[in-house]
Amino acid sequence: MRTPAETMALIARETRSQPGAVPKHLGGHEIPGGNRLFALGQFVLHTGTGFGFHYRPGIGVSYTVDPGADPAELELWLYGSVYAAIACLNGLYPVHASAIADNGRVHAFTGPSGAGKSTLVAGLGRRGYPLFCDDTLLLDLSDPGRIVALPGHKRLKLTDHALALAGAEVLGPVGSGTGKSYAAPAAGSLREPLDLASLTFLEQGAEAVLDPISGAARFARLDDDHYTQQLYFDAQAPTRAMMFALRSRLAQHLAMARLVRPFSGEGFAKSLDLAEAAVRQFSKEPPQ
Amino acid sequence: MTRVLAKAADQFSETVIDDEIVVMSLASGDFFSLTGSARAIWELIDGTRTRAALLADLAAAFGRTEADLAGDVDAFVAQLGSAGLLEPD
Repeated sequence: MRTPAETMALIARETRSQPGAVPKHLGGHEIPGGNRLFALGQFVLHTGTGFGFHYRPGIGVSYTVDPGADPAELELWLYGSVYAAIACLNGLYPVHASAIADNGRVHAFTGPSGAGKSTLVAGLGRRGYPLFCDDTLLLDLSDPGRIVALPGHKRLKLTDHALALAGAEVLGPVGSGTGKSYAAPAAGSLREPLDLASLTFLEQGAEAVLDPISGAARFARLDDDHYTQQLYFDAQAPTRAMMFALRSRLAQHLAMARLVRPFSGEGFAKSLDLAEAAVRQFSKEPPQ
Repeated sequence: MTRVLAKAADQFSETVIDDEIVVMSLASGDFFSLTGSARAIWELIDGTRTRAALLADLAAAFGRTEADLAGDVDAFVAQLGSAGLLEPD
């Protein structure tokens, strides 16, 4: 069993990156552009947009940038898919979520791309809740008595619409045709691992509504996160029994809710009220 | 019928979440959420009871007659059997 501090040190060490050769083959398999491969405990990604990445345990990440590639993309890949892949290979479980912290515990908001995860945590930042992570939440399950969340990157990526909704301070463009800007979290960010308390699933709808999720529905909702789960499947090749045990643990330990919200300004304010109410309620509940 | 009903222990995983039992077939990946009498039947299938003994215990637990419950029990046991969650006859 690793301590959270040891896990933080491991991830910091393993995600070190520098320019270097990236193979086109690994473990006897070819990796064409736009594809990734886990093999031999390693990870190779050729993006199809001029970037290549090769992760090797104990060595870190080497990468290539083709002439003409947009340099702004490099950070997006390193802090996105490559970061999550390295985490998976090192036994961490990634969740496609953005999160804030309250009262020493983490509250995460998950949903597909475009669901408004970053916008919501930016808005909660304006209400005093520090950012814990944006877009990828890493969970360390090595301690059977805890679900430890690891803090992520310290900037938010928001569209112009989201910036206006959340009232966030712009730091600069993300670039690479994303239409997003980096924004500073209004209440700052955290650097220490904390226990995960709740997971709220974001949905779009006409009226803002918060519904607790109970019973087997908690278990079933954990199957929604296809993007990061596929990385975990590819990296760890877990059996059905292993995934069942993992989801069972999350369902038993975490408070869960669904937050339905419109994307209008008025609806956003109400959804922020509901999200904050959920955070306060879940913060009061003792750890499971 | 004197067959002792028993779960096929290596064919499923189960967990308790709130007041529900979630059972997954390891062969198919299908889930079953068991509450109320279904949960009680699942828990009574412990490798010691025949259908008759299970019915008697279930009737006592729910304050119903065995005749009232027999149809639902048989249907549920058949469903569990079809899903491969019970030891075959």
